[in-house]
Amino acid sequence: MAETIIRTENLSFAYEEEGNRIPVIENLNLEIEKGSFVAVLGHNGSGKSTLAKLINLILTPTGGTLSLFGEKVDEKEMSDDALYALRQRIGMVFQNPDNQLVATVVEEDVAFGPENLGIPPAEIRKRVDDALDIVGMRAFAKHSPHQLSGGQKQRVAIAGIIALRPDVIIFDEATAMLDPRGRADILATIEKLNREFGTTVIHITHYMEEAIRAGRVIVIDDGKIVLDGTPREVFSAVDTVKAAGLDVPQVTELMLEIRKDGFDFPADALTFSEGADAVEAYILKTRNKKEHS
Amino acid sequence: MLKDITLGQFFPGNSILHRLDPRIKLILAVVYIVMIFLAKGVTAYALVVLFTVFLVAVSKIPVRTILKSLKPLLIVLIITALINIFWNGGTTPLFTIWKITVYKEGVIRAAAMALRIILLMAGTSVLLTYTTSPIALTDAIERLLSPLRAIKVPVHEFAMMMTIALRFIPTLIEETEKIMNAQKARGADFESGNLIKKAKSLIPVLIPLFISSFRRAEELATAMECRCYRGGKGRTRMTVLHLKAHDFLFTLFVCFTVAGIVLLNIYLPVYTI
Amino acid sequence: MNAAELRGVSYIYSENTPFRKVAVNDIDITFEEKIITGIIGHTGSGKSTVSQLLNGLLKPTSGTVSVEGKDIWEEPKKIRQVRFTVGLVFQYPEYQLFEETVYKDIAFGPKNMGLDESEIDRRVRTAAELVGLTPDFFEKSPFDLSGGQKRRVAIAGVMAMRPRILILDEPAAGLDPRGRDEILSRIVEYQKKTDSTVLMISHSMEDMAAYCDKILVMNEAKPFLYGTPAEIFGQAEVLERVGLSVPQVTKLMRELRRRGYDVRTDIYTVEQAKAEVERLVGGDAAC
Repeated sequence: MAETIIRTENLSFAYEEEGNRIPVIENLNLEIEKGSFVAVLGHNGSGKSTLAKLINLILTPTGGTLSLFGEKVDEKEMSDDALYALRQRIGMVFQNPDNQLVATVVEEDVAFGPENLGIPPAEIRKRVDDALDIVGMRAFAKHSPHQLSGGQKQRVAIAGIIALRPDVIIFDEATAMLDPRGRADILATIEKLNREFGTTVIHITHYMEEAIRAGRVIVIDDGKIVLDGTPREVFSAVDTVKAAGLDVPQVTELMLEIRKDGFDFPADALTFSEGADAVEAYILKTRNKKEHS
Repeated sequence: MLKDITLGQFFPGNSILHRLDPRIKLILAVVYIVMIFLAKGVTAYALVVLFTVFLVAVSKIPVRTILKSLKPLLIVLIITALINIFWNGGTTPLFTIWKITVYKEGVIRAAAMALRIILLMAGTSVLLTYTTSPIALTDAIERLLSPLRAIKVPVHEFAMMMTIALRFIPTLIEETEKIMNAQKARGADFESGNLIKKAKSLIPVLIPLFISSFRRAEELATAMECRCYRGGKGRTRMTVLHLKAHDFLFTLFVCFTVAGIVLLNIYLPVYTI
Repeated sequence: MNAAELRGVSYIYSENTPFRKVAVNDIDITFEEKIITGIIGHTGSGKSTVSQLLNGLLKPTSGTVSVEGKDIWEEPKKIRQVRFTVGLVFQYPEYQLFEETVYKDIAFGPKNMGLDESEIDRRVRTAAELVGLTPDFFEKSPFDLSGGQKRRVAIAGVMAMRPRILILDEPAAGLDPRGRDEILSRIVEYQKKTDSTVLMISHSMEDMAAYCDKILVMNEAKPFLYGTPAEIFGQAEVLERVGLSVPQVTKLMRELRRRGYDVRTDIYTVEQAKAEVERLVGGDAAC
């Protein structure tokens, strides 16, 4: 079994507003394995982004424990250096591409992270070039970010994180503001990072089409995990997913609706070709039955 | 679209002036200004003009562009010239209008002053703003001032602020345009009325703009923290500026020009001011 | 009568500069009145330009834009009146909120129209109701609301102007599925209640299929396809050729057709697909 690199035990986060304690994450237990591609699905306000910020040590939990790379994190005891060392291993890409680019030239922006780490110039150069190659933005190295499309900017932001050489990258609704093309580009980049470079990916989103492509889907509602499994397992629980304010693939829903009418269709078809397979299999089965009788 | 406006009038290019180390350019711009004020007579001025023409020629910036940039200066030039013509005394009266006598010295002085302003503008913009990107300029300022860190001057922080400002100006311009359009679609009127009414009509634009700027600042701060930013401490840079042969040659050339001006001032003073 | 027409319209951004960009190129579009028309296309296909041309925020480089049969640029001084007839809700409209209270923000548009207090009050209340905001929101600061609520306040602000044509640019962008369904069904309800014309720009084929009466597909600065959802999605291969997706159930039906089954391919909702699949496999529910 692969190594567990993120583990939370009864992790909680709440904030105070006008004297009331408002819980966001409640007693959350989660283990994420090295090299996995996990999608965290939830509606706005479900606590999914808070979870990301807890893992990346931007927020401090109000209860429970968080272990990263096999070691328990205690921010009060931790030195600044140790904190930054952990942050470097867990990169984060945010929703609005405009608000995470610092420099006026693409390659300077990608260099920002490694520069902060105090890496020698030649090594920074190499990391920047490599990172831009991975996201396919090398040709735009000398461009200014404001000349790029949303999807391109977001790829530059990803390159800026890759250049830090993190073990884990959290995408905090990184596709929410993009058009379909931009989203497709980002998703392809995410899959490439996960498959070819073994980066552990946590992709936070409310688009089920994106979650389907992950190896594991976690559905969060009211700060709790309500479903956790492969996309097939999660989306076949159509009612639970819908109750969490999310969509299921049309084909999965279609199969469920047809089942409700008494037809024996599979509950876990996700793609259109799986749907077509299911229809075909059903037709062949009934035809055989008729022939036998 | 507003966002297409180039900032700081930088003209990308590959001339020798573009390739000069920005630190050298910054220092030489100061030397150039000194040079202008050093020049005393027609001969020395001629050398400065020659030098400026040389700068323009090697920069490959169209002369027209430079002349255009001088246009807003016209009023300043005229006023300076008039003041110098009428308020300067002298020994050689040329003519008298009403009760004011215009002296030859006044005219020379006016011409010299106007020329000085023109040279100042044209030379520094060719040397700096036209041929150096704002970011390179910021970078050069940070590096040149870095010794001041020893006396606790926040040089890095200042440069970082400049960089972020440069990065966000186009974004904010675009956003202003967007919000203005959105309010226009709600019937807002930015054009008619007196000054106070016009200023008031901008409130629906300014408030959303402020709010979004604060949101951006907050998000950017978080993103920077996630990218391990912790101030200038222990930071390295990807691009290291190295002085190259052409930097030394150009500096040497400027030194000769300065020497030339000093010599001309001493040995060939014609119509000095 | 048609709600609006573009005849031979071109719009070029930053003409005579190196940044010159043709946003729409010699287009003819007719928008039918009293229905919801969806406009779909890639970023840069010209769909947002069309919306800004319709309410006079942009002046066409050539051609005529007419609303309710009248050229809107006939009297350029009266262009503000056009903006009251053609309401435009921009993308992420919550970023335009600025007043201290929800009520005042919704009232901004009607106030600019020069209406009297009682009329403004009536309009604010109706508009708030249309987007599902109860009066206890009125005295709250818009900045204390959730993202979805802010969006509804902003949309109400334009609805309160009672435009005869309402254009919404990506009204559901960035919302989660629940928020998206809420907003889009409110818009459908608004159209029915006010009997007005609605144009909705979106990237989502599924949303278009579920909520629009007619769909206009834009591609490369030109209108590309126009028709009912069934007509549009019946031409899935044409859509896919320009890189636009079709709903998953449409793909399923096309796949079944490809495998030799006799099914309709102009299907785009789960309900339609269910009926069609059940027809195919035979009504006799397999015990």
